[in-house]
Amino acid sequence: MNWSNVRLIFRREVRDQLRDRRTLFMIVVLPILLYPLLGMSMFQVAQFIREQPTRVLVLGAEDLPAAPALIDEGKFAPALLNDPQSQGLTELHFAEVPAADAPERARQAVQQGDFEAVVSVPAGFARRLEMFRRDLSQRAAHERGGQPLADVRIPGPEIYYNTAKEKSQLAYLRVTKVLDRWTDAIGRENLKSSDLPESAARPFILAEHDTADESQRKAVVWSKILPFLLLIWALTGAFYPAVDLCAGEKERGTLETLLSSPAERSEIVWGKLLTVMLFSVVTAALNIFSMGLTGSLVMSQFPGVGPPPLWAPVLLLAALLPVSALFSALCLALAAFARSSKEGQYYLMPVLLVTMPLVLLPMSPGVELNLGNALIPITGVVLLLRTMLEGEYWQALPMLLPVAGVTILCCLFSIRWAIDQFNSESVLFRESERWDLGLWLKHMLRDREDTPSATEAVFCGVLILLVRFFMSFALPQPETFRDLAVLTVVTQLVVIGTPALLMTIMLTRSPARTLSLRLPPLASVPAAVLLAVALHPLAGAVNQLVQRLYPVSERMQQSLAALMADPPGAWQMVLVLGLVPAVIEELAFRGFMLSGFRRMGHKWRAIALSSFFFGITHAIFQQSIVACLLGMLIGYLVVQTGSLLPGIAFHFVHNSLALLATRATPAFLAAHEWLRAMGVSADEGLSYGWAVTFMGTALAVLLLAWFRGLSYARTSEERLQEAIDQNVSQPALGS
Amino acid sequence: MIHVRQLTKDYADLRRGRFVALDGISFDARAGEIFGLLGPNGAGKTTALRILSTVLRPTSGTATVNGFDVLTQPSQVRHQIGFVSANTAMYDRMSAWEMVEYFGGLYGIAAGPLRERMERLFERLQMNDVRDLLGSKMSTGMKQKVSIARALVHDPPVLVFDEATAGLDVLVARALLRTVAELRDQGKCIVFSTHIMREAEKLCDRVAIMHHGRILAHGPIEGLRAQYGQPDLEELFFALVSQGDEGAQSDEYRVQSGEMMK
Repeated sequence: MNWSNVRLIFRREVRDQLRDRRTLFMIVVLPILLYPLLGMSMFQVAQFIREQPTRVLVLGAEDLPAAPALIDEGKFAPALLNDPQSQGLTELHFAEVPAADAPERARQAVQQGDFEAVVSVPAGFARRLEMFRRDLSQRAAHERGGQPLADVRIPGPEIYYNTAKEKSQLAYLRVTKVLDRWTDAIGRENLKSSDLPESAARPFILAEHDTADESQRKAVVWSKILPFLLLIWALTGAFYPAVDLCAGEKERGTLETLLSSPAERSEIVWGKLLTVMLFSVVTAALNIFSMGLTGSLVMSQFPGVGPPPLWAPVLLLAALLPVSALFSALCLALAAFARSSKEGQYYLMPVLLVTMPLVLLPMSPGVELNLGNALIPITGVVLLLRTMLEGEYWQALPMLLPVAGVTILCCLFSIRWAIDQFNSESVLFRESERWDLGLWLKHMLRDREDTPSATEAVFCGVLILLVRFFMSFALPQPETFRDLAVLTVVTQLVVIGTPALLMTIMLTRSPARTLSLRLPPLASVPAAVLLAVALHPLAGAVNQLVQRLYPVSERMQQSLAALMADPPGAWQMVLVLGLVPAVIEELAFRGFMLSGFRRMGHKWRAIALSSFFFGITHAIFQQSIVACLLGMLIGYLVVQTGSLLPGIAFHFVHNSLALLATRATPAFLAAHEWLRAMGVSADEGLSYGWAVTFMGTALAVLLLAWFRGLSYARTSEERLQEAIDQNVSQPALGS
Repeated sequence: MIHVRQLTKDYADLRRGRFVALDGISFDARAGEIFGLLGPNGAGKTTALRILSTVLRPTSGTATVNGFDVLTQPSQVRHQIGFVSANTAMYDRMSAWEMVEYFGGLYGIAAGPLRERMERLFERLQMNDVRDLLGSKMSTGMKQKVSIARALVHDPPVLVFDEATAGLDVLVARALLRTVAELRDQGKCIVFSTHIMREAEKLCDRVAIMHHGRILAHGPIEGLRAQYGQPDLEELFFALVSQGDEGAQSDEYRVQSGEMMK
C-alpha cells in the first residue's frame, strides 16, 4: 500500500465533491438552515394545535344545579379551568330535547360531525342532587353514631364523543377535565354540608421526591436524542458521497481510467473511504451542532429541560469517528455494486432497515449497557454514548474496550469487503442484461462447475436459515428426550442435510470434490479424535464463560433441564445428538459451503465464513458463539487434510463428550476416584481443574501444529492468490 | 515487449451459457512498431486490451508486458503501459492540467519533474489553451487529447490505444494518428485496435485480424495481402471474416453435438 497514492486519491475526490454545488448544499447549507426552520414551524404547529377550538353541545343545561356552577354565561365556569384564558376554546352550544330523545340526538350530533362532543345532563339532575344533599345532611345530623350510611348514587351527566376523530378526542379531554373538577367541587360541598372536613375524602397528599440532580435530568432527553441523530446523519452523510464515488464514477466512465492507473485497488478504496468518511463526519457534526443550537433555544422554553451537557460535543465526536468509518466502508462496498447512481439510491432502504433496529434497540426502555449489549455492533456504541451523556462514567468506562474492539473489527471486515468488491470484475463491469428466472435456473444447472461458487455457498446458508425459521413454527417444542431425538433427526435431515445435498447434486459436477469425500492422511482421523478429547476441558470452560457473559434465560434452562430429566441410555444420546449432527452438519458446512467459499481464494476467509453460518444456524445464541469457534477449528482440519472425515470424527467426539459430561453427577464422580484426582468437579456442571485444562490445551496446540505441517491441496483460486501475494509470474494457471 | 499466449476469457451468460470473449489468442508486439488489432465490434479487441491493462483478469493463458505478468504483477504492468480507450473518460469536475497532474502523481513522479514533463507534453499536444478548462466543458477531441497526455505522462514503454479515434472528427483523428506514428518513431511499443481499415493500413506495421474472440490471421500487412491474394486490407478482412463465420458455425455445431454425446 502506497499512502501517497491514497492521499492523492483522497484529495482529488474531496475536491471533486466540493466542486459539486448539490453536495455542498446537502452537507453544509441544508443542516444550517434545516433546524431553525424546523424549530420555527414546530412552534407554529404547536400554537395551531393549542388554539384549535372545539364545539360541544350541552343537552339539558336547565337541569344543572346553581352551585357549584358548571356553566357561567354560556361558557364553562372559569374556576373549573386550568388556564382561565382557555375559556373560549370550548364553544358551548345548548339545545333542549325531550329526555327520551337525548341519547339519540347526542349520538347523531357527534357522528354527523356537527359537534365534537355532547354533554347530556339527565332530566331532574339538579333536583335529585339537592335531595341527595338534604338526605345526607339530615341523616348525618340525626343518625350519627348509628348505622353506616348506604352508598347511594344518582344518575349523572353523560359524555358522547368519537375516538376515531382526533378533534373529538381533544374535546373529550377538555370536557372531562372540567367535569372532574366540577365533580370534586360537588363532593367538597357535600362534605361541608355533612359537617365533615375536606380532608375526609383526601386524608393525605402523595409527596414525590426526584433524586436526580438538575444536570442529570436535563441530560436524559439529550442522551437519547443525540446518539440517534448522530448515527442517522453519519449514515446519510456517508451514503450519498459513496454512491457518487462508485456508481457515479462507473456511470461517467472514469472508473476504468482510474483502474488502469498504477493505483492499487486497495489504495483506491482507502482514498475513497477516507473521502466518504470525511463527508459523513462533517454532515453528522454540522447537523448535531445545528440541531443542538436550535434545540437548546427551543427547549429553554420548557421548564425542566435545559441545553445539552457541555461535554457532549467531545463525546459525540469520539464516537462519530469509528461509526463513520464503519458506515462509510459499508456504503462504499454496496455502492460499488450499483451500476448507476439511480440504482445506488435504491440501496439506502435496505441499509436503513438493517441499521435501524441496531440504533433503536438501545432506545427501548430497560436496555442498559452491559457486556452482552456492548458486543453488539452499533448498539454498543449508542449505549456507551448514552451512558456517558447521562454522566455514568464508571459504568461506561469498563465497556470502552469491548465496544471499541467490536467496532474496529466490524470496520476492518467492511473495508475488506469494499476492497473485494473493487477486485471483482463482475461487480465493476456489471452490465445490464435481461434477467429471466427460467434462463437463470437453466444457466445454474447447465453451466455447473466441479465445486460450488461462493454465491451458491451463501445461498445454501441463507436457505438453511430460512427453512429452519419456517420449520420452527411447524414443529412442536420438545418436552421429553424422545421428542428431542425425533426433532433433532428431522431438523438435521430436512433443514440442513436436504438443502446442502440437493444443491451439491444439482449445482456441482463433482459431488466428491464438493463434499471433500476423500481419504485423508492415515493418522489424521485418530489425531482429530485426540484433538477433540484434548480440547474437551477448554471447550467446557469457554462454554461456561459464554454463559456467564450472556446468561441463559430461566425458562430456557428449565426446559433444557426437563429434556434431560428422563435420562436415556448413553449410547442413544451419543447416536442421536452426537453422530447425526456430526455427519450432516459437516456435509453442509465443511462440505458444500466451505468448498464454495474457498473459490474466493483465501483459505482463512473461507473457514471464517462457513463457521459464521455454522454458528448462526444454532438456535440458541449462546451455542452460536461456541459453534462458531468450533467451526473455525473443524474447517481448518478439513482444509488441511482435504477430507471431511477428520472433521466428522472431531465433531462426533466433541459432541459426545459434551453430552456425556452432562450425565456426570456428584454420585458418579464419587464412584470414580481417579476423575476427582484430576481436579474434576461437578458443582455447577462438569468442570476440570486448571492443570487438566492447560495440559489438554497444550496437547491440542501440538496436534494443530502437526495438522499445519500437512501439505494441503490448494484450489486454483488459492494458488493464484498466493502468486499475487508473492508477486511472481506464474505461467501454469487456469489449467 | 508484449507476449500474449493462449489468452482466454469467458463470462457466464444467461442466454448463451459460457460466453467466450477471447478464445486462446496469441501474439507478440515489439518495441518501435505499431501492432494493429483489427476486427468488427464484439470481436474481443477491448477484452484483450483490458486484460493487457490489468483491468480484467484472463480465465486462462498468460500475457506479459515488458516481462511482467498481468495476472500476478498487475501493479508493475500498469507502470509499463499508457492506456487510451473509448471507455477511459475524463473527470467532469477537473481541468486538463489537474487531470494529467493527478495521474502523474499516481505514477509516483515527483512534483518538479512532473511539472517540466507536463509543460513539454502540453506544448507538444497543443493543449495549452485548454489547460484550465473543466472536463465538462470540453469537446470530444479535447478530451481525447487529455487522455493521451494522461497516458504519456509517465513516459511508458508500451502504449495501448483502444478504438482511440472513435467519435473524433477527421482533423482530430488525423492529428491523433500522427501522434501515434511519432511515438512509434520514438521507439515505443504500440498496440492499436480499430475497426477502420484505412487507419490500420496507414499506421500499422503488423496486424492481427480478430473475429469472435479468435485471431484469424496475423503478420505484416504486405505479407497478409500476398498470402491471401487480396488487393487491399478491407477485402482481405471481409474474406477472412466470412470464412471465420462459417468456421464458427461448424464449431457451434460441434459443441452442440459434443454436449449431446455426454
